[in-house]
Amino acid sequence: MLRALAITIGALVILALAVVAIGVGVRSLMTPVVDGIHHRKGQDFALIERGRYLTAVADCASCHTIPGEGRPFAGGRRIETPFGFVAAANITPDAETGIGTWTDRQFDAAVRQGERRDGKPLYPAMPFPYYSRMSREDVLAIRAYLDTVAPVRNPVTSDLLPFPLSIRAGMLAWDALYFRPGEFRPDDTKSPEWNRGAYLVEGPGHCGACHTPKTWLGGDENAQKLRGSVIQGWFAPNITNDSTRGLGRWSPDDIVEYLRDGHNRLSAATGPMAEEIALSSSHMTDADLYAIAAYLKDQRGGSEATPPARSEDAAMAAGGAIYRDVCSACHTPDGRGVPYLFPALAASPSVRSRDPTTLIRIVLRGARSVATVREPTGPGMPAFGWQLDDSEVAAVLTYIRNSWGVAAAPVTAEEVHTARTRLAARSE
Amino acid sequence: MRLHRRDLLASTAVLFGGITAHASIVSGALPWQPSAGTPPEPARPGPWLFFTNEEAAAIEAIADRIIPPDPQTPGGKDAGCAVFIDRQLAGPYGRQEGLYTAAPFHKGKKEQGPQSDAGPAEQYRKALAALDRYCRANRNNRAFADLSDAEKDDILAGLESSRIALEGTNGKEFFEAILKDVQQGFFADPLYGGNRDMVAWKMIGYPGARYDYRDWVSRHNERFPLPPVSIMGRPGWMPGKA
Ligand code: HEC
Ligand code: HEC
Ligand code: HEC
Repeated sequence: MLRALAITIGALVILALAVVAIGVGVRSLMTPVVDGIHHRKGQDFALIERGRYLTAVADCASCHTIPGEGRPFAGGRRIETPFGFVAAANITPDAETGIGTWTDRQFDAAVRQGERRDGKPLYPAMPFPYYSRMSREDVLAIRAYLDTVAPVRNPVTSDLLPFPLSIRAGMLAWDALYFRPGEFRPDDTKSPEWNRGAYLVEGPGHCGACHTPKTWLGGDENAQKLRGSVIQGWFAPNITNDSTRGLGRWSPDDIVEYLRDGHNRLSAATGPMAEEIALSSSHMTDADLYAIAAYLKDQRGGSEATPPARSEDAAMAAGGAIYRDVCSACHTPDGRGVPYLFPALAASPSVRSRDPTTLIRIVLRGARSVATVREPTGPGMPAFGWQLDDSEVAAVLTYIRNSWGVAAAPVTAEEVHTARTRLAARSE
Repeated sequence: MRLHRRDLLASTAVLFGGITAHASIVSGALPWQPSAGTPPEPARPGPWLFFTNEEAAAIEAIADRIIPPDPQTPGGKDAGCAVFIDRQLAGPYGRQEGLYTAAPFHKGKKEQGPQSDAGPAEQYRKALAALDRYCRANRNNRAFADLSDAEKDDILAGLESSRIALEGTNGKEFFEAILKDVQQGFFADPLYGGNRDMVAWKMIGYPGARYDYRDWVSRHNERFPLPPVSIMGRPGWMPGKA
């Protein structure tokens, strides 16, 4: 990690110097926006309501609100990136510390082009590369809604990154590499539903921010779109239609239920996805959720090579015994679980993910699934980190990854050990 | 959530005077923390924590008379009952932590529990010393552990029936305490130092700390096929691991 950071910093500095010109070029080549008059407080209910919905779809609240503080959009939440933390800004209409005096143009430039009011670039911890797919009307609807929330005086210092990442100009190089500005363009060969789904996923929903693998500089690996990535100590799994690692065996109904209720007959959402569901997708209309499902079901998973099924070995035998003694009471001996209560490990793409980060974390510390209006219980899984040592956790995970007719790379005791050490430093 | 007097006044003010106050709404799931709970701390092998070597020898000898070994199952001593009692007496149980132990003390009924500020640790210490004095005085200066099985049984039976009195302590109460503690050490989870290798559970066919027996609820007179599991797991998971 440290090494990665050092390389990154070095590279960023060089890139910053070399590409600043191009970077500046990119920023100024972006769709010119009409310099609006100072935004006036509107009373247009339909516009505000559209903005409220889009704000939920775009999940602005998750980063711009500190959970449990009761000050929506007042900012200050520290957003974790692979390079350090960036605090999200105050986007309430407070005149001094929020966006109260911003022009529509300035707001639009921040949300869709990652440009701060002072012209400096924003870090992509603010997912403007996705929001760039929205239209100006969408963004101004969000603005109209934000104008109706309570103004909160809360000065936020966003710059928490270490030098030289603290030099924002460096981000211009990043933009040149990874930022492809531009509104969503529908694909006429696809259905309106598919296009709506594409817009939601690639635009305001910013699903790829977590689910698309990242380059070493934190940019999206576009050839691997939605094929799974590590995020904040979790693994956001492959959500393409891949039949082993992705959603290939989930029906559109399964996907809709998961996004709306946090639970379906096979799985339950936890960690960052629990938050995404609670704040965002559980508020979307069923039509929009089916559109997302249609789009995801049309994403090719790529052919992540499936390792050959594992023959019986010591780890599988030990894992099988541990599974039977400790896990099977809830997840059932045949791995089918109990619908809407205990996930079906036999059918979970997340269990077979190429990266076992989430699995190790759940077994070591336990997990609690999201509680939603339709599934209000939020069943949790107890922690086993006190009972199972590194090799036992590795064995039971190797077992569930290679049973019930599926196969995935084994988990090693070293991986569990590293995860245990890292988790000790994490609170949530 | 604690209700403060001020909040209470504010909310009753709403009821009576219509003044606005902030109500808090509790919704969604119960609070949750990762790695919640207080995991048990397994008794660690090693030297005695409470007993002296002589005391431990006496306890082990008594444990082996209360639960004698047989060809299939080790006795109280090899099952670790003395280790169990040692760890208990060295801990909060021995110190009577959490019990009200201040004077005055009156002789009470059995149901009213021990009426003394001496906890189990002190009771054991006194009784073992008195037992040693008794044996040395009445059995050719030998310690309890060095007596024959018949002699040991005779003394234990004597304590149980009050035929033998121990000096400065109640021998019958001591016998009752150790009878109970040896059984607990034998059958409790191995985590606490006794029931070594789950011998007691294997003997009676108890499957241990498993979560769920729904599949077996209606299957009578059949032997449960799975080996017992301790709260900390079982050695069979990883053969060859220490
Ligand atoms: C994944 C987290 C995240 C989400 C989701 C998010 N933001 Fe941000 N936002 C940030 C962070 C972090 C910053 C500060 C970035 C920086 O300083 O470089 C920021 C900065 C901003 C700024 C610039 C404020 C300033 O003072 O410079 C605006 C405006 C903004 N966000 C609006 C929004 C809106 C509107 C949405 C929803 C459409 C949204 N954000 C969603 C994390 C997020
Ligand atoms: C903040 C990061 C984040 C965002 C944004 C996000 N996800 Fe997720 N998602 C995750 C994580 C982490 C998981 C794994 C959760 C778990 O294992 O319980 C997940 C799980 C899922 C799953 C279940 C996959 C499985 O195999 O169990 C689906 C489906 C999903 N996300 C869809 C979406 C869609 C659609 C969006 C955009 C609307 C989205 N996610 C946005 C982080 C995110
Ligand atoms: C007391 C019941 C219970 C036991 C015992 C239990 N689990 Fe779970 N498990 C759950 C619940 C409930 C969830 C859903 C939690 C969530 O999503 O936050 C879950 C989720 C999981 C997941 C994530 C599945 C997915 O599709 O997202 C994995 C992996 C898992 N458990 C593995 C195990 C293993 C391995 C064991 C044994 C060491 C075990 N569980 C024991 C109840 C249990």
